[in-house]
Amino acid sequence: MSDKLIEIETPFQFSAENQREFDQLIQRYPVKEAAMLPTLHLAQRQAGYISPAVMEYVAELLELPVMKVKDVVTFYPMFFEEPVGKYVIRVCYTLPCALRDCKLVLEHIKQKFNIDVASETDLAKGTTPDGKFTLLKSECLASCDVAPVVMVNDDLHKNLTPQKMDEILDSLE
Amino acid sequence: MVQERRILYEHLDVPDINTFDVFRQYDGYKHFEMTIKEYKPEEICDMVMQSGLKGRGGAGFSTGLKWSFVPRDIEPRYLCCNADESEPGTFSNRYVLEKNPHLLIEGILICCYAMGINTAYIYIRGEFTLGKRMLDAALNEAYQHGYLGKNILGSGFDLDVYSHPGAGAYICGEETGLIESLEGKRGQPRVKPPFPAVEGLFHKPTVVQNVETLCNLPFLMGRGVEWYTSIGRTYGDTRFNPPQSDPNTGTKLYCISGDVNKPGVYELDLGLTAEELIEVAGGVKGERVKAVIPGGSSAPILTHYELECRLDFTSLTLWKSMLGSGGIIVMNETRNIVDCLLNIMKFYAHESCGQCTPCRWGTPWVRDIVQRIVDGEGRQTTIQRPKFGITASGRWGDTGEMEEVYEDLDLLESVANNIANVDTMTWNTICVFGIAVSWPAVSYLRKFRPEFEAAIRDGELVTLPIEEATVPPEENYAYQQRIVPGLFEP
Repeated sequence: MSDKLIEIETPFQFSAENQREFDQLIQRYPVKEAAMLPTLHLAQRQAGYISPAVMEYVAELLELPVMKVKDVVTFYPMFFEEPVGKYVIRVCYTLPCALRDCKLVLEHIKQKFNIDVASETDLAKGTTPDGKFTLLKSECLASCDVAPVVMVNDDLHKNLTPQKMDEILDSLE
Repeated sequence: MVQERRILYEHLDVPDINTFDVFRQYDGYKHFEMTIKEYKPEEICDMVMQSGLKGRGGAGFSTGLKWSFVPRDIEPRYLCCNADESEPGTFSNRYVLEKNPHLLIEGILICCYAMGINTAYIYIRGEFTLGKRMLDAALNEAYQHGYLGKNILGSGFDLDVYSHPGAGAYICGEETGLIESLEGKRGQPRVKPPFPAVEGLFHKPTVVQNVETLCNLPFLMGRGVEWYTSIGRTYGDTRFNPPQSDPNTGTKLYCISGDVNKPGVYELDLGLTAEELIEVAGGVKGERVKAVIPGGSSAPILTHYELECRLDFTSLTLWKSMLGSGGIIVMNETRNIVDCLLNIMKFYAHESCGQCTPCRWGTPWVRDIVQRIVDGEGRQTTIQRPKFGITASGRWGDTGEMEEVYEDLDLLESVANNIANVDTMTWNTICVFGIAVSWPAVSYLRKFRPEFEAAIRDGELVTLPIEEATVPPEENYAYQQRIVPGLFEP
């Protein structure tokens, strides 16, 4: 009997470039475990989401039990355990944005793609069938002076209206 | 009208100030060079203590005092710069990181030199991708020019600074949560004591400071304590003999958002009133101010009766609120307070880290109660409870009469007070997240009770006119302890 509890079909490995970045990262901390968050960010950038294979790979790199990695991945909202769209749309929904009608923007995106808002446990319901967009509600993105704001992957878009949102989404390949 | 005094933000809008060369043209790193030549580490600590600089992250704890707790005989010591800015309504650190990251590095250099620290981590929020890019580029430049690394400027002082990305958890802005997260674990706060200054990151003495606090250091060192203490207000507390001074010195980056005409970050002397601040931010959008949140969404709300309150650490504490991170959210007459509370409670229910039972179960419970009131399904049943008010002796207490209240409102107050009791200031949780939940919940309810009652009675949200929606000061416990007689302004 195999001693592995999870059967992993396609193993994961860092690309050469990411491996170099990881080698730099790991030197910054006196204990390897501390490199957890940067390493997971790196892995998610390469793999798209944190699959069991990624968790196992990261655990091996950091010399930890897989459970510790899973523990961290489930805690932080920025790590996904399921596949997400090519573009992750985070609509800020906290008070300052709510006072500036972020609801209109959110409803508009929902209608445009005919999707619901993804929850942390069910990302599929907020993802378009072609796998291009995932819609998430986000907590305060610390840009309340230019509310409402939306983050699309790494880019922050400010002072949005449904029309502006349309232009931004349509310009994405 | 109060004038802005730009110190930290003085060169923020200079093009390319994020690059080393331009930063140098505007006297960048000069303060650090002067400091390292002219002062011994102990002298810097003394100056910080005398300046009365208070931590800008939220608690407003004296920076000099915090530094004095750090044992000097345990090596290594660490600095964690808290750039996990996630309090709703706060956005001043983002601009520093994106536009002027070298200023932060200079502040870190001074702090580490004073404390004999050789490794610093900047815990930067995961969502700040642009900020992290800018900061990493600035760190690289600083290494290239010999301001970081080994034997900095030939002084024999070594310092490594690394940026460390978070991953979207609000609780990692709490200092021990941040440390846990930096160690690669779930960001669940630790029991204090031991405080991080004694046992923090990797179980070594650790100083945790907010970005804004560190950015104050170059100017404090460069221009001196006298200059620094001339800004802001210093209160005296006569309950002590001799009277203890309670400094609120320096400028604060006030972040103002919501219903104002010109939202943004304004750098102003500590201690201007809420009214003045709204005026600086272009006045209220709409007709009148209904409510002001003075320090990020965790702070108890201020009503239109309380706009003359000074926005500094001491005054707001006396007014039973807090300056927190300086995120001010203004609401005008069209806003429904119940609806606003629902938004905030959804935030806290989502962000509770799940470590302590009262918070893990209490926050969704509070959210659900507010949700059903907003949906028009608030429980119509009423209960009898003792009425509190001003008694015959002239003090606040049990009047001996009974009052009839809606069951849901009593429940809301009770659940929130059992996460953390706002009257006794005791919390049943490990960290202060508990009080950050019950403060807004209880203060909104007590100060805007008619609006909650109307929503339950009518089965729908009703936005009342401001006068009707607000409980007047004489009927409200939240106002009662406002003035502590022992405090005066010299």
